[in-house]
Amino acid sequence: MSDLVIVGNGPAAVAAIERFRSLDSRSRVTLVSKEEVPFYSPCPLAEYVEGSVARERLFLRPASFYDDHGVEFLAGATAVGLDRGALVISRAGAVRSIAWHKLLVATGAVAARPPIEGLEGTAGVFALKTLSDAEGIIALSQRARRAVVIGSGFIGLEAAQALRRLGLDVTLIEALDQVLPQMLDVDLAEIVRSRLEANGVKVLCSALVRAIESEHGAVRAVRLDTGVIAADLVVIATGVRPDLRWLAGSGIATDQGILVDASMATSVPGVWAAGDVAQAPAWDGRHRLIPTWPNAVSMGSIAGVSMAGGDTRHGGTDIVNVVRVFGMAVASFGERGNGESHDFAGAGARRRVLIRDGRISNGQFIGDISGSGALLEMMRKGVDVSRLGDKIARPGVGPAWSMPRPPKPGRHAA
Amino acid sequence: MQKAIFTLMERCVACKSCEIACAVAHSKSGKVATAQFEEPLPRSRVRITSAGAYSFASRCVHCEEAACIAACPTGAMHREGRTGVVAVDEDLCIGCWMCVVTCPFGAVTADPGTAKALKCDLCAARGAAGLGPACVDACPTGAMVYATPDELAGMRRFATAMASVGVVDGVEESVALWRNLKGGRSI
Repeated sequence: MSDLVIVGNGPAAVAAIERFRSLDSRSRVTLVSKEEVPFYSPCPLAEYVEGSVARERLFLRPASFYDDHGVEFLAGATAVGLDRGALVISRAGAVRSIAWHKLLVATGAVAARPPIEGLEGTAGVFALKTLSDAEGIIALSQRARRAVVIGSGFIGLEAAQALRRLGLDVTLIEALDQVLPQMLDVDLAEIVRSRLEANGVKVLCSALVRAIESEHGAVRAVRLDTGVIAADLVVIATGVRPDLRWLAGSGIATDQGILVDASMATSVPGVWAAGDVAQAPAWDGRHRLIPTWPNAVSMGSIAGVSMAGGDTRHGGTDIVNVVRVFGMAVASFGERGNGESHDFAGAGARRRVLIRDGRISNGQFIGDISGSGALLEMMRKGVDVSRLGDKIARPGVGPAWSMPRPPKPGRHAA
Repeated sequence: MQKAIFTLMERCVACKSCEIACAVAHSKSGKVATAQFEEPLPRSRVRITSAGAYSFASRCVHCEEAACIAACPTGAMHREGRTGVVAVDEDLCIGCWMCVVTCPFGAVTADPGTAKALKCDLCAARGAAGLGPACVDACPTGAMVYATPDELAGMRRFATAMASVGVVDGVEESVALWRNLKGGRSI
């Protein structure tokens, strides 16, 4: 019997442990981790592949972290089932159950596997989500010459960049008609595409992958609607999604992820969820699945307080992302395509801010991303920026407008 | 109680002395004459920002719940244990700019020269020598104050008291009143 069982070993789990232990030093805590390695940061994996970040830098906590926090660390254990009071895990081929009093699900997300013929079981096909993915890519990249990256979200872009820097021929394939389809409008995406091409990445948009062709079990080529591209290394970067299959029968309400309230509680008493697996209320109050590092850390912290009996609420997760494309910063927040566009163009910089009903609904920044966080804060607070007009997109606008303001008269009146 | 930089917005004339002092204080040579030729060019971590008719020196406020620390996926952004200052470990920073896009004050910027996150460190190097932040020292109008919240409250109460005793309003009249008091003339 453990007082608290944590399933998962990513940033949400670690943030939860640290916050929980700052409030509760007595409970017995057990952590179940699918991977064998201690907690590491997945964000610099592309940098690890290209060689600019050393392996030990990925491990953000000392080796003694679990002992220091009084956590029993079960590595290499996969959660396979859950019911009231017992978590079923599979470890080294043996299945056993762990009794729990409180449970945190922080299992993260797995790389999506698009239904492409020949994808499963072919050597040389990787995601870029886990440390073992990265190590597989590194090992193969020593002798591979031609790489294909499928998907042009930020992980796809990072993978293409890293492989290019390792000297491989890289082709980036996107099913939609632009790169970074979630982050940028099509005209701004053209700038990113040019940057990729100027650095030697071949970019194919509106291209559908039909099959992965292999020879003796190893990838040989990627077949598209329009032709065949020879490849000896393939990276699948078509997004991530939570794996919820093991929760069937647990009674926990799910949608795309596990539905949680602002305290990270699930529909089942005694069970919390945080990180990429959790679908929490976002800044606009809607439950959204937004798998980013900052959201995972903030959700984990809130869960840690809640599980220790504290009363705290998450202020709402954010859609915010940033990627570097051969040194050029690209950032966005909010949802694009809904509002009136205000643009700024400067030396090496393009900035676009969308306004809907006088309020910021989306920001897209290339080259100069300064102050984007202040604009994001204004979106969260619903600051009326209509009188700023096109100025809103200029660098330097923001901090004064995002600062706390007294409540509007009447709102809090008795 | 830790000291912090406070801004008296009504005194800022947007002269940018703070920006220059900041860049120079974080340069290799520490001198304005030579800092401007350094490679990479030393950058300011404060920025004069307009706020309607006013302006002020916008910079990191060293948040208690710092969004940049939560957002940093490499452990580079951290809080100094002794001083509470939010600081960047440049060796760990990979320039992913997650801090830039999450700072609600726009106070973390991407340094184009070093490709590292750039922010106010409350002049840690000067602090070791017993000096306060360079921007505060450089401000010619007293628009920036380095003090504890209690000290600031005391100063503000005094200014308000002066203004109310003399039935004066605004900085200029307060200063005039202060001069009168110093000159020993009755009010």
